[in-house]
Amino acid sequence: MSSSTLSNAQPQPQDEQQSSPIPLHLDPQTYPRTTTDPTLNTHIHLTYDPLDPTSALSKISSPNAGANVLFLGTTRNSFEDRPVSQLSYTAYPPLALKTLSTIAADAVTKHGLLGVVIGHRLGDVPIGESSIVIAVSAGHRGAAWRAGEEVLELCKEKAEIWKREVFVDGEGEWRANRDRDAEGRLVQG
Amino acid sequence: MSTINPPTFQIHYFASASTYTGKQTERIAAPLPLSLLFETLESMYPGIREKVLSTCGVSLGDEYVDVLEDGDGVGGVVIKEGDEVAVIPPVSSG
Repeated sequence: MSSSTLSNAQPQPQDEQQSSPIPLHLDPQTYPRTTTDPTLNTHIHLTYDPLDPTSALSKISSPNAGANVLFLGTTRNSFEDRPVSQLSYTAYPPLALKTLSTIAADAVTKHGLLGVVIGHRLGDVPIGESSIVIAVSAGHRGAAWRAGEEVLELCKEKAEIWKREVFVDGEGEWRANRDRDAEGRLVQG
Repeated sequence: MSTINPPTFQIHYFASASTYTGKQTERIAAPLPLSLLFETLESMYPGIREKVLSTCGVSLGDEYVDVLEDGDGVGGVVIKEGDEVAVIPPVSSG
């Protein structure tokens, strides 16, 4: 009798696993995920691999461009003087790709850009490596500088991507960009 | 003996929502009026409404939806079987 009860109970953990498999957006095998608009020359990509700034620049190069601006956001080894041992990023691509595409398209329209690349790395990103790449090209430097900064700030404000910092003492925290300005200062709620 | 699968929708949790629920995703019985989503989650994870959901957005498919202003559910949005919902905490890319 008791063995029968046990054998009935055994499949449960398996059933539970089957009902909650790893969602596709957390499976690195389903990346890179990209969105491209050939007309606007915008290129969005989310990847678990290292970012390639040369490739980003080549995508926006144009004989009409007098200015090409490249930004690399790299992972820092501390947060408020606490040593960080590891950073990891998670994205929700159905929203993130859409949000980033809109940011890129709006920047092309507003600043008359010749091309925009926004790339974000996911998963564990070792200290000192790039987590985000922004590349923009324009006829003249003013528009390119302004657009580069604006695109980055909009990404940080809106893209559905989350950073988790793991401290050397083992404690981990999810970060929220709205808590910090572009100089890293605490924003008063 | 396979059990009959009741209709469900998928809900994804990120960042603080994932930490609070201890899950990255799960299935919840459908249909469910959108206006009852936070109430349902609060019953499953006491305290989540105030500690997490109060600062979160919610998406249905690939669109954000307004949970709080959806009203009493009469004539409002209903989460259907097979829908994909996500709880979106404050973001931190870059």
